[in-house]
Amino acid sequence: MSPMKENKKEEFLSTIDTHKKIIYKVVNSYCKNKEDRKDLEQEIIIQLWNSFDKYNAEYKYSTWMYRIALNVAISFYRKEKKWLVINDFYNQDSIYTIEDQNDNKTELDQNIKLLQEYINKLNELNKALMLLYLEEKTYDEIAEILGISKTNVATKISRLKLKLKKEFKKI
Amino acid sequence: MDAVELNKIMKAYDNKLDKTLQLNLSPMNELQLKKTQNSTKKILRSRIYEVVIFSFLAIFLGRYIANNWEQTHLVISGFILHVFSLIALVGSIGQVVLLQQIDFSKPIIEIRKKIELVNSHGLLFGKLIFLSVPVWWSYAIVGLDFFGGIDIYVYLDHDFVVRYLVLNFLLIIPLVWLFNKLSYKNLHIKWVRKTIRLFTGTETMKALDFLSDIEEFKNKY
Repeated sequence: MSPMKENKKEEFLSTIDTHKKIIYKVVNSYCKNKEDRKDLEQEIIIQLWNSFDKYNAEYKYSTWMYRIALNVAISFYRKEKKWLVINDFYNQDSIYTIEDQNDNKTELDQNIKLLQEYINKLNELNKALMLLYLEEKTYDEIAEILGISKTNVATKISRLKLKLKKEFKKI
Repeated sequence: MDAVELNKIMKAYDNKLDKTLQLNLSPMNELQLKKTQNSTKKILRSRIYEVVIFSFLAIFLGRYIANNWEQTHLVISGFILHVFSLIALVGSIGQVVLLQQIDFSKPIIEIRKKIELVNSHGLLFGKLIFLSVPVWWSYAIVGLDFFGGIDIYVYLDHDFVVRYLVLNFLLIIPLVWLFNKLSYKNLHIKWVRKTIRLFTGTETMKALDFLSDIEEFKNKY
């Protein structure tokens, strides 16, 4: 492997490492079972790698990653195999969680689970919107990632928040 | 739960992930440096074949019209088929252009719309079948003349031909209306849904439904 290619790969891996949370959260929002999660994770990483040369520095890495990850996740969710690579190039999880010794599995886990359930109920596009909102992306960034107007983002988010409020009140 | 509480949950979740999320480098090292191609290339190839086939058909029909210029009925029949082949050709060229523009790093709504327009390509052929109904005779006239050397027009009764042409001409208006009506923008109309499903199938229907969702997501405030 040429040094240039090796450098490129290292740069890519370091980008993935920095932003692994994005992949993890997108995968968890679009897939319920473990096997699917592993497949989608692979798919996103391959598509990111395929597009890495075309990365436009005009955008933040996170914006670029969100666009690719969400576009891939929606195709995966809709079982549109023709738009995916579907290449079992490895069997292990690329991104995984380790047990936190100090973690007391209490309210936080319960709330996260509830949020996850709420996101799971949304359609493909609203899932993306909610995910970006929860990531505290600005309305401008959300509009840029999704390709809709800022006003539209604001209106939709206020509606989703209202629904979410009702959902949390149920418990 | 208000925004502040939600924010707290997300912060705590982020902190937890920062502590526990790990990247497994060993499978990542197996990542091929050669870019992996997705199956989009296959769709692109099939659309390019369509462009080639419809181009040949358009050229053939153009020559057919020129060679039979003296016989009005053959020219009219050939011209009608030529228009159909040109619509199909333009549709297929549009698909090739769309496929070239699909890039997952572009905004989600833009890419999803392009993907679903490619997925719903079957609708164009369904619509062309509909539009062909009043002019089915042009297929028979050109086909029999070209492949069998038989000109059926000379065997037809003149009054029958006139009546038939008038009736079919009148049918063109509702069919053009129908052509425009059969679109994802009208899926809320029951008969439109049923007709499209009947002529195109589940895959196209799924794509059209999503196109409709995209429009709603994009425009509904």
